[in-house]
Amino acid sequence: MSKNQSWILKHPWSVRSFHYLLVLSFIPLAITGVVLFFKPFDQLTMNLYMRIHVVTGVILTLDAVAYFIIGFTRVIAFVKRSFSFSANDIKWFSILGGYPQKFLLRKKVAVPPMGKYNSGQKLFGICVLIGGTILIATGWGLWGFPHILPHSMAALFGTLHLVFGWLLILFLLVHIFLGIYMFDDFKAMFLHGKIPCEEAKEMAPLWVEREVVKIER
Amino acid sequence: MNAEARTYQKGEIPGIIAINADVCKGCDSCKRYCPTGAITGMFGAIHSIDVEKCINCGQCLINCPFGSIYETVDTVDTVIVKLQDKNVTVVGIPAPAVRVAIGEEFGMADGSLVTKEMYGAMKKAGFEILDNNFAADLTIMEEGTEFIVRARHALFGEEAHGHKVGPLPQFTSCCPAWVRYVETRYPALIPNLSSAKSPQQMAGPLAKTYGALEVWKKPPETIYTVGIMPCTAKKFEASRPEFTSAYHFLKKEGKAGSDTPYPDVDTVLTTRDIARLFKKMKIDFTKVGETDGGPLAEYTGAGTIFGNTGGVMEAAVRTAYKVLTGNELQPLEFKKVRGMKGVKSASVTLMDTKYGKEVTVNLAVVNGIHGNIEPVLESIMAGTSPYHFIEVMNCPGGCVNGGGQPIKSDGSSWLRVALPLFGWK
Ligand code: SF4
Ligand code: SF4
Repeated sequence: MSKNQSWILKHPWSVRSFHYLLVLSFIPLAITGVVLFFKPFDQLTMNLYMRIHVVTGVILTLDAVAYFIIGFTRVIAFVKRSFSFSANDIKWFSILGGYPQKFLLRKKVAVPPMGKYNSGQKLFGICVLIGGTILIATGWGLWGFPHILPHSMAALFGTLHLVFGWLLILFLLVHIFLGIYMFDDFKAMFLHGKIPCEEAKEMAPLWVEREVVKIER
Repeated sequence: MNAEARTYQKGEIPGIIAINADVCKGCDSCKRYCPTGAITGMFGAIHSIDVEKCINCGQCLINCPFGSIYETVDTVDTVIVKLQDKNVTVVGIPAPAVRVAIGEEFGMADGSLVTKEMYGAMKKAGFEILDNNFAADLTIMEEGTEFIVRARHALFGEEAHGHKVGPLPQFTSCCPAWVRYVETRYPALIPNLSSAKSPQQMAGPLAKTYGALEVWKKPPETIYTVGIMPCTAKKFEASRPEFTSAYHFLKKEGKAGSDTPYPDVDTVLTTRDIARLFKKMKIDFTKVGETDGGPLAEYTGAGTIFGNTGGVMEAAVRTAYKVLTGNELQPLEFKKVRGMKGVKSASVTLMDTKYGKEVTVNLAVVNGIHGNIEPVLESIMAGTSPYHFIEVMNCPGGCVNGGGQPIKSDGSSWLRVALPLFGWK
């Protein structure tokens, strides 16, 4: 980290530790979930995958509950940000954030100014909030007491778990790709939490303009 | 499957219940309901049924939350063809528990008693009717009097003429899943089973002999009997090779009309199947109106309560009481054996007027084999059982909760909330 550069704390430790546990639980959950869906292996291996799925599911639940309690204000802020829309979001989606042009045509197009999260990240946030909650709730029902639930409810739980599981896996692939592409943000999330001020001004000008406060040290 | 099945006689249908591997989610629910441990498959892996251990009760089927379990035997279309054949008289044998459940398949309230509507729909489809309640009365008479013979033999050394007297405790024998359970797991206790056939297997020969010759006046070989049952195991029972007594009786009389033995019960439809048959034949059960069942649909309250746990025992006790004392049991209801407890017991003291002695009979009712039966059987094997007469029904709650009944949204979990939670192995 260069001392001459200005930095913005984007991901404090609570967010980073929540994210670490999320990565450690969701990736194995996704892999074992896909295996459980296709059932390609023998009994013992399938059972092992199911056990890993269950254990990591419990870790993810504890992580989510703990973060909800410890980082309640951050959760509220995240929900607020994810659900705040403006005309800029429509413009952003109409050019898909300029990414296809950048990757496929090697062209830079003008992107409408974004807040802390861009429109795609907000959509991802909404899916994680709703989908994650549904996956956790249905997962516990399907693991713990499918035989006690009314059949129609168990079947609905199964379908919801499947649909949101696949949805979040697909989103995750995009998230990992873009996360690594925006390497400074990646380092911020996995290492020190900070991103260069210049980059923030480019990627999230509204956030820097409206919310970021300079601290003198 | 047939070639390898070792616990089936030639002609019996093995594997009436199966799991669709494409749909199974490996959730383990079915295992929690199986009374014999016939379901294999680890948590998370595809499950399957070991046909040798399976007693065809269908409890797994009605409790699989994902509808992965199905019946392999479906004769709805065959029955429709028979109903449309003018040379065949199709006799429907509806069990007691069917009439309180079939309405659900047509949007009526759970538990609606629709006996006359059921007769109406059956008549409209072309069935003749022999109500299984009528045959249930016969089973009660047989089981009740057989118990008296066994008890008098045990207590007073009385011998029966022409046959060996079975031991006590006497088990009821009307549940085919239970009978197969004893045959495959406790063969030493086979003599304890009542020798009385189940109502379905009494009704079949009755239809093909008395019904054919005296009521419908048709050649017996043209009678096609259809058990209409709340139970998947009844499909297996009807396929047992020993159940050809109508043919053998008629053969002796020179009236069989065929050189090939025919079964007493040609096929079995579950409550779900018969509802499907009515729907396929475009019979609107809710509009069909009430009809009488005809001469072979007369029955007493004893036959009616057969479908509930404790019902067979209650009816048998009433019969035994009447035979031994010459009086009706007062009050007529024997409430001690009702209710949803796993094992219910009671004692009755009766005066055996023939011997002028009071006899106390210890009764037990096993409400669902799963989790209840083993201690009872082990104590009999060890010679420490206090019981003289034991009713056993495979399905919790009795036939009303049989594997062939309409699938309720909550299966039968409401009956057994204490099943293990959270799968692992
Ligand atoms: S209850 Fe159904 S889905 Fe679950 S393991 Fe059994 S057959 Fe498979
Ligand atoms: S039909 Fe009955 S015995 Fe057979 S596997 Fe299912 S629950 Fe077990």
